[in-house]
Amino acid sequence: MTTTDDRPTMIEFKDVHKYYGDYHALRGINGTIKAGEFFSLLGPSGCGKTTLLRTIAGFEDISSGVIMIDGKDMASVAANTRPTNMVFQSYAIFPHMSVEENVGFGLRKDPRSKDEKAAAVAEALGMVGLKGFGKRAAHALSGGQRQRVALARALILKPKVLLLDEPLSALDKKMREHMQVELIKLQRQVGITFILVTHDQEEALVMSDRIAVMFDGEIAQLADPETLYRRPATKKVADFIGTMNFIPATILSEAGDKVEIEAKGLGRVALDIAQAPTPAGEDPVVGLRPETLTLLYDDQKAPERETEGVIDEVIYFGDMTYYDVYLGGTDVEVRLSMRNVPGRPVLDVGTKVRVAWSPSALVLFR
Amino acid sequence: MAQPLGSEARAGLKLISPTAIYVILLLAVPLATVLIYSVLTGGRGNVSLPITIENYAELWTKAQYGYIMLKSLLVALTVTFITVMLAYPVAYFVSFHVKPERKSLWLFLITIPFWTSYIIRVSLWFVILGYGGIVDSALASIGLPPLNVASYSLLSIVIVLAHAYAPFAVLPIFVSLEKVDRSLLEAGQDLGESRWITFLRVTLPLSMPGVIAAALIVFIPTVGDYVTPELVGDGKEPMIANVIEIQLLKLQNFPQGSAFAVASMLMVGIVSVLFVLWNKRYIGGQK
Repeated sequence: MTTTDDRPTMIEFKDVHKYYGDYHALRGINGTIKAGEFFSLLGPSGCGKTTLLRTIAGFEDISSGVIMIDGKDMASVAANTRPTNMVFQSYAIFPHMSVEENVGFGLRKDPRSKDEKAAAVAEALGMVGLKGFGKRAAHALSGGQRQRVALARALILKPKVLLLDEPLSALDKKMREHMQVELIKLQRQVGITFILVTHDQEEALVMSDRIAVMFDGEIAQLADPETLYRRPATKKVADFIGTMNFIPATILSEAGDKVEIEAKGLGRVALDIAQAPTPAGEDPVVGLRPETLTLLYDDQKAPERETEGVIDEVIYFGDMTYYDVYLGGTDVEVRLSMRNVPGRPVLDVGTKVRVAWSPSALVLFR
Repeated sequence: MAQPLGSEARAGLKLISPTAIYVILLLAVPLATVLIYSVLTGGRGNVSLPITIENYAELWTKAQYGYIMLKSLLVALTVTFITVMLAYPVAYFVSFHVKPERKSLWLFLITIPFWTSYIIRVSLWFVILGYGGIVDSALASIGLPPLNVASYSLLSIVIVLAHAYAPFAVLPIFVSLEKVDRSLLEAGQDLGESRWITFLRVTLPLSMPGVIAAALIVFIPTVGDYVTPELVGDGKEPMIANVIEIQLLKLQNFPQGSAFAVASMLMVGIVSVLFVLWNKRYIGGQK
């Protein structure tokens, strides 16, 4: 993870609202996106992430608030004069044009000579790995190739911000993973701000410098992937990003920067206040990631705390095995993941086990 | 290949036979008759051997025939041009600016002129364009002299035909505009072009198949239109169809009339092929 705090601001949202009739699609968006950052807007469908992207591009007007790009208020700037370019979800390749006509579409007003423009098109195609595809008809391309054309067509205009609207969702799994890495490399190479919209949390974690998680038209948390994963700000974010076990808990005492709780199946635990990001409410739960729980074999000793349990389900993945375990004679079931290394046999359903865990890996949601 | 017909093939033959018989008796046989007549020697009300190209030579050499063919062609092309130019904005409006749930209502409204017989519609144009008609009385009320548009036969024919075929032109253009992916228009603007230039570079080329289909749909029937010149032009500006009628029914010169009919079919055929070839340019680049 690179630190982005010292980079200049590229995009700034100030209390952005968007209404469609009575429907409140964006509910007060605030935040900044830094220059050269790979930024993701992540959330389930209907959360407003695509709407927010389209307001940056200028395809949607905002009802109130301010969007600044590179220090300029975009309120009166039309889509065709904004310093942004978009890779559309459908790629929007012009079907009546060849690949090079598509890539050179935005160069009509460019003062360069015809030969220089042709060289720029060839260079852009080379950058996305489509060298020599210029003369092909656009409709004869595969999904992955169309996406590369869409990328080249946007990047050739050297925008300050590249907007990507679910660009990988139409590709198969192998191709998607391949393109994730290529996009990261491309972003480092060109150094411009990328803003990616995705509903795939794994994709966002892999690719982004920072991620804004959105629910119901609001940003629930804006953080780097590691913070988002280890210290989710709300239970909803924790549930959306990766797998999280939730265990019912009661708060015993709160003094200074310590919170003492009783978690069902785990017992009494003292937590740092930083592990309790939400304000007090009803039904507190603690969250635990599967990989922070470990099965103890034979006479292994837990470095911190341990709890007894019974295996309820075994899910074998080859390199990993997932176990669903009832904790300490209660009905609380947690999922934990173990790497399958030599000398560590896969255990059967019903086996009594000891589970090691660390209080510092807990997050309390109140 | 010489296998007995399967049940599917027999069922297929049964299904198409009514149409096939209709087409053979009422289309292929008359067409063949016209073709054969056009190369026979003609008397009044009869045809006889020997085979001759005299009838076609007549068409080629007599200036008045060439004039009528050329006039029909130009009138039809003018009507086609005007109709398509008027139909495009209507189709564009319905496709891009009418809410999806209202589109079928709009298309339905466009077909309303068809609820009235063509003859009545033509007569109504007299009321509008004729001496002392709506146009003239409107002009008179603001102190201008009457135009009496109806006295200009060719102009009236063009106006009436362009109005009559407008709905036929709207539909194919509408269909081709509906197929234009809306994200392409956003892409055009995203890449720095204004709405108007995006229309010229993206929407218009993608809708050309519909425009060409509309042009064909208007052009083919207008070349051979019989009723309009007869009623609107008062028969003063005969077109191909009117001359064929005179030759076949009034003069009973069957071979000469047939040769004229064949020549006009050829003309329509050549222009249509040109349109289709033009269309290929646009269809070729798409799925």
